[in-house]
Amino acid sequence: MKRLGDFLLRYGVLLAVAVLVVYFKYATTAFWDLDNFLDILRASSILTIVALGVTFSVVVNGFDVSVGGVVGLVVMLATALMVIWHVPWYLAALAGLAVGVVAGLFNSFLIVKLKIPDLLATLGALYLLQGMQLAITKGDAVYKGMTNPWSPDRAQATGEIPGVFLYLGQGYAFASETFRGIPVPVLVMAAVAVLAWFFLDFTRWGRAMYAVGGNPEAARLAGLPVNRYRTAAYVISATLSALAGLVLAARLGSGTVGAGRDYLLDAVAATFVGFAVLAARRPNVWGTVLGAVFVGILLNGLTMLNMPFYIQDIVKGLVLIAALGISYAIRREGE
Amino acid sequence: MAAGLVAKGLGKRFPGVVALRGVDLTLLPGEVHALVGANGAGKSTLIKILSGYYPTYEGEVWVDGRPVRLVRPDLAFQNGIEVVHQEVDTALVPTLSVAENLFLERIAEGRLGGVLTPGRLLAEAGRALDELGFDLDPGARVEALSLHQKQLLVIARALLRDLRYLILDEPTAALSQLEAEHLFALVERLKEEGVGVLYISHRLAEVERLADRVTVLRAGEKVAAFERPFDLAKVVEAMLGAPAGALFPEKTPVPGAVRLLARGLARPPRVRGVDLSLRVGEVVGLTGLAGAGKTELLRLLFGADRPRAGEVVLEGRPVRFQSPTDAVRAGVYLVPEERRREGLLLDKPVRENLSLPFLEAFARALGWLDRRAERAHAEEVIRRVGLHPPDPEREVRLLSGGNQQKVVVGRWLGGRPRVLLFDEATQGVDVGAKKEIYRLVRAAAREAAVLFATSEVDEALGVADRVLVMRDGRVVAELPGDPSRRQEALALATGARA
Repeated sequence: MKRLGDFLLRYGVLLAVAVLVVYFKYATTAFWDLDNFLDILRASSILTIVALGVTFSVVVNGFDVSVGGVVGLVVMLATALMVIWHVPWYLAALAGLAVGVVAGLFNSFLIVKLKIPDLLATLGALYLLQGMQLAITKGDAVYKGMTNPWSPDRAQATGEIPGVFLYLGQGYAFASETFRGIPVPVLVMAAVAVLAWFFLDFTRWGRAMYAVGGNPEAARLAGLPVNRYRTAAYVISATLSALAGLVLAARLGSGTVGAGRDYLLDAVAATFVGFAVLAARRPNVWGTVLGAVFVGILLNGLTMLNMPFYIQDIVKGLVLIAALGISYAIRREGE
Repeated sequence: MAAGLVAKGLGKRFPGVVALRGVDLTLLPGEVHALVGANGAGKSTLIKILSGYYPTYEGEVWVDGRPVRLVRPDLAFQNGIEVVHQEVDTALVPTLSVAENLFLERIAEGRLGGVLTPGRLLAEAGRALDELGFDLDPGARVEALSLHQKQLLVIARALLRDLRYLILDEPTAALSQLEAEHLFALVERLKEEGVGVLYISHRLAEVERLADRVTVLRAGEKVAAFERPFDLAKVVEAMLGAPAGALFPEKTPVPGAVRLLARGLARPPRVRGVDLSLRVGEVVGLTGLAGAGKTELLRLLFGADRPRAGEVVLEGRPVRFQSPTDAVRAGVYLVPEERRREGLLLDKPVRENLSLPFLEAFARALGWLDRRAERAHAEEVIRRVGLHPPDPEREVRLLSGGNQQKVVVGRWLGGRPRVLLFDEATQGVDVGAKKEIYRLVRAAAREAAVLFATSEVDEALGVADRVLVMRDGRVVAELPGDPSRRQEALALATGARA
């Protein structure tokens, strides 16, 4: 019995992914197809980038729930800058990333300096960001030819989102006659994952972040500047969310009100599913990636089975609870 | 059988350790009975048994002639026994008022009725406190109270439910002189009212003043009992036991230049103005009771806390460490008191624990960590400290206590220390590991100035070349590191001699 339990703790997530894949293969017609797999990866890519950000905050034993707000604000800001104010796409993108850096600094100010518990501080930030998202356009969606909400005579906005920018979300690379190509968001995700992996597992800063998360007092007494590492983790978290926001804006080709709202819970679920992969007992990059893809496969398969939309949330809830159950069970065993 | 709290043959075993064995103890109504012993003598275990903390224990207890099994905390209350722990906070709800805490059990049992208006609660609490003669504001929130006020509150609550046997565990450890006087007066009063008080303290001056009888524990056993009038020197002798054998390495001090100097270093209430100077090539001991301010002094030297007054001079230059980061950069290292909580990453391999403060030295371009260099460093340190098993990839939580401590010590030895501060470095490790740690401490003195803090005077005298004795935040004496001065050292530390 104990053996079986250990086995499930170690391989449970991988097993669940395998079972899902096999099930969807036989239950649906379009699932077992390279293009569909790439679609799943593309659909998971934005989530994965956000989840990797959350992973950084969890590595330093914190928690960042403001990520969904950052994604939404960046989507709105970047598209509005281009459509309403004719800002070149690269400056709009830079502005989006800057929003991430500032949001991260703000979060760490609340958490490190004011010592507000991370969950509550970033919850407050989440509301703030969501409100700011709406304020940019007075609550309107951003699209080509929209009415400029800031114009006194309600003139049409004349800017547009250029193709270069849209490529980030909609393009394909390495296309050939027989192959549609790899979606660009998937490449972005892969690049972020590899960089995050290198940073966390192979550099001194990553090592120090794990030390800060594992035992802050021991890290401090070993001479590590604990607060600086915590600050860095929140800045990275929010900046990756900002990057995800840019990809999402390019994918949508417009600024949708409420964009990014779903990513928070999905990203948390992915991170904690990642805890459980191979009984890692700690947040880790490939666990998070697998967790995000797992959530992606689940959603894709459910859609193909023509499940009603509300089933998705119920299933996601169950998955999150199961993942948390497993990772906390592992933690207890470690004690 | 007559009145009194009588324990016969009390004992408690833990896996691999006998914490207490065959202890007889009688606490009579209207007496103050002092319980003394060095760290690890078994005082806490004895108190915990009497407070109903353990579901099982050996031996028997009678309360006023009735046999009782104190296997749950409420059984202790019901028999009129109350323990005031050193960390008195654990017995109180900090966010509630004095009045609410005072009546906590009655509220829980519904004995005050279902509807509790704050006015009525305050009035009743005020009346009760007046009757007891306790000066506490019933409306104050407990978290705003001083430690002494919290003690009073716990005692008051016990008095409200027929207190007959009061156990005070190191009650004056964190009190001011004035508060301590107030507490002594209260103890005298309770005694006159027929309460039996078991008074646990390291401070022999208090014991002499208050106690009618003294029981001495050592290594889990009762080794002596004295009736008033007692000779404090004999009490000290009983606490110490026979001198340990060849536990300590040979000393070959070659004192060089002054490495670290502190003048008037203070952070009240725990550190109240300390001067010291450490030379390279020597080990300086720092001893004193738990709570004397040793740990706090080391934290000031290490930059973990900031001094309110005074200065630190490192190799002739004044330094002002803002954080341990600065201290580590300057080569001033601390082996902290609680290695598991403050020293180690338990889930990480030995290699990562050893390199933690010096990651920069192993980093190449882009911050990439050179694991081979890191591993080679770990292997060298492991050889040097004699870690067992000598495996750099073993997770630290799987090592024994002594080997965990060798990891913490080895971490700093591997980093060219200028000044090494040790805080209770042999706590909770077996004799074999102690010997090796002493050897490492002596070896470290060849290149660094070493300050070795320990509450065991034998250890301080055995390892160090000279020993500073601390009491109540001050260095009260300096002795040569001569094991035959143990009685003098303990007398100075306990305040039995000024």
